[in-house]
Amino acid sequence: MSDRVRVVVVDDHDVIRVGVKQSLGEGVEVVGEGRDVESAIQAIADARPAVVILDVHLPGGMGGGALDVLDVCLKKPDPPRFLALSVSDAAEDVVAVVRAGARGYVTKSISGPELTDAVKRVALGDAVFSPRLAGFVLDAFGAAAGDVAVVDEDLDKLTAREQEVMRLIARGYSYREVGEKLFISIKTVETHVSAVLRKLQLSSRHELAHWAAQRRIV
Amino acid sequence: MTSPANERLARPLRRRAPNAAWPRALVGAAMLMAAFATASARFGWPRPAAWVVPLVAYVVGLALVWSPLDLASVEDARRPEVVIGLFARDHWARVVVGIGLAFSAMWWFATWHYTDQPVVRLLMVPPALIAALALLFGPWLVRLARQVRVERSERIREFERAEIAAHLHDSVLQTLTLIRKNSGDPATVAKLARAQERDLRTYLYQDRRTAAESVATALAAAISAVEDAHAVAIEVVSVGDAPTDKHLRAAVAAAKEAATNAAKHGVAPISVYAEVSDDHYQVFVRDSGPGFNPKRIPADRLGIRESIMGRVERHGGFAAVASKRGQSTEVTISVPRRAENGKVAR
Repeated sequence: MSDRVRVVVVDDHDVIRVGVKQSLGEGVEVVGEGRDVESAIQAIADARPAVVILDVHLPGGMGGGALDVLDVCLKKPDPPRFLALSVSDAAEDVVAVVRAGARGYVTKSISGPELTDAVKRVALGDAVFSPRLAGFVLDAFGAAAGDVAVVDEDLDKLTAREQEVMRLIARGYSYREVGEKLFISIKTVETHVSAVLRKLQLSSRHELAHWAAQRRIV
Repeated sequence: MTSPANERLARPLRRRAPNAAWPRALVGAAMLMAAFATASARFGWPRPAAWVVPLVAYVVGLALVWSPLDLASVEDARRPEVVIGLFARDHWARVVVGIGLAFSAMWWFATWHYTDQPVVRLLMVPPALIAALALLFGPWLVRLARQVRVERSERIREFERAEIAAHLHDSVLQTLTLIRKNSGDPATVAKLARAQERDLRTYLYQDRRTAAESVATALAAAISAVEDAHAVAIEVVSVGDAPTDKHLRAAVAAAKEAATNAAKHGVAPISVYAEVSDDHYQVFVRDSGPGFNPKRIPADRLGIRESIMGRVERHGGFAAVASKRGQSTEVTISVPRRAENGKVAR
């Protein structure tokens, strides 16, 4: 990558913002910060970053936290790309923020190099799936137990390949390792992951967020 | 998630000015009636029917009994926790007078010889008296019921609040104290913080289920123990869930052993992925190196051979270790579900 990725960091905790800024490595430049919904929208409008690292739970706005920021910013022309960062493991939070338009979801326990890598990946338009997000996707699309609902739309199911990719990511494989395991190029892995992201965002299947909220297995 | 009510725990005191207008109103009403009686005698107006005076007395009594109830129920809405019996103290006199008036009216009615036929009176008097009593005490009962309801919801809220406080006390406060004591020791602080974070996260974001109900919970608990024992972070992802039967328990125990190996010999990041499908429960435990040659484990090392493979095989499953020198290691554990379950009597 020739020039540095311009990033805005949004989190309501000063400590976390400082920590994120420090852990971001080479090739990433922090050009703005936000501490709540309003200041985040302002900072994004001012700095016009390529990527926004966005905490899921934010004060202010309409009370929807990151969802409010995504709503406002994605309506404007030439929006930045969003990478959600959260301590929450709750499926409804994860799925809601991805469906609102985030290109990836990582937890705050992520290491510095991994985060830097994820930011660069999102900047290039790829999707970033943590193992946990991959797990939620598999759960939501019924890769596991007994969910054999008949589906008509392509958006409502994962292809066998996409399932395999998701499963390997959930098992902790990096994109490169997924490619090696499945004998496909890393570019192909990225294509599959982006396709899954698109399905996750566009699918109307059982209202995924709703699914996430009341996921109950007998 | 509901935010905790942001109000002070003790409600502010509120004192109401005593309302002393009613005795004067009563005296005024009595004087008006006396004046009316005098006037009717003086001008020869026809005497009112005999039942008018008792009826007026009953209505006045009713009004006296009811009015403090209204005031009190308005107050109830503001401070539902106050159990003031049925009345505040400054209402007692008014209620006693009201009941007295109503009862004398009823007594008069019960002894009223408006007809000489005892049967008619026998049929008329008891229902009328019951209706009058119900009218008099009905509001009390309604209010009593409402008070019970309010008190119960208050008790539930209080209980929840106490639960949360107890949880925070047992967990966060204790951990903070420990962290302060060990502030010189980064490893211990990190371990404490990680354990606390996990605990709080479970408390906040997850359905609280027991390890017996949910194999995902059982696996998460087992892996947490490994995290604590070896001071490493392990990411656990579970897809699907099922009650933990003995086969699944064996798989979880094997996964715990595999995670322990990864924590001891492997390099972070370590991830555990579990998937419940109709006929299998699969767990993958993966570390990022340095790898080893599984064929060259000495025969006396029981970790992999016995604790992982043997354990799972006894439950009809299998375990495999994929590793190469210098690369990641992945342990695959798989146990069958339905087929085996059918044979087990339960």
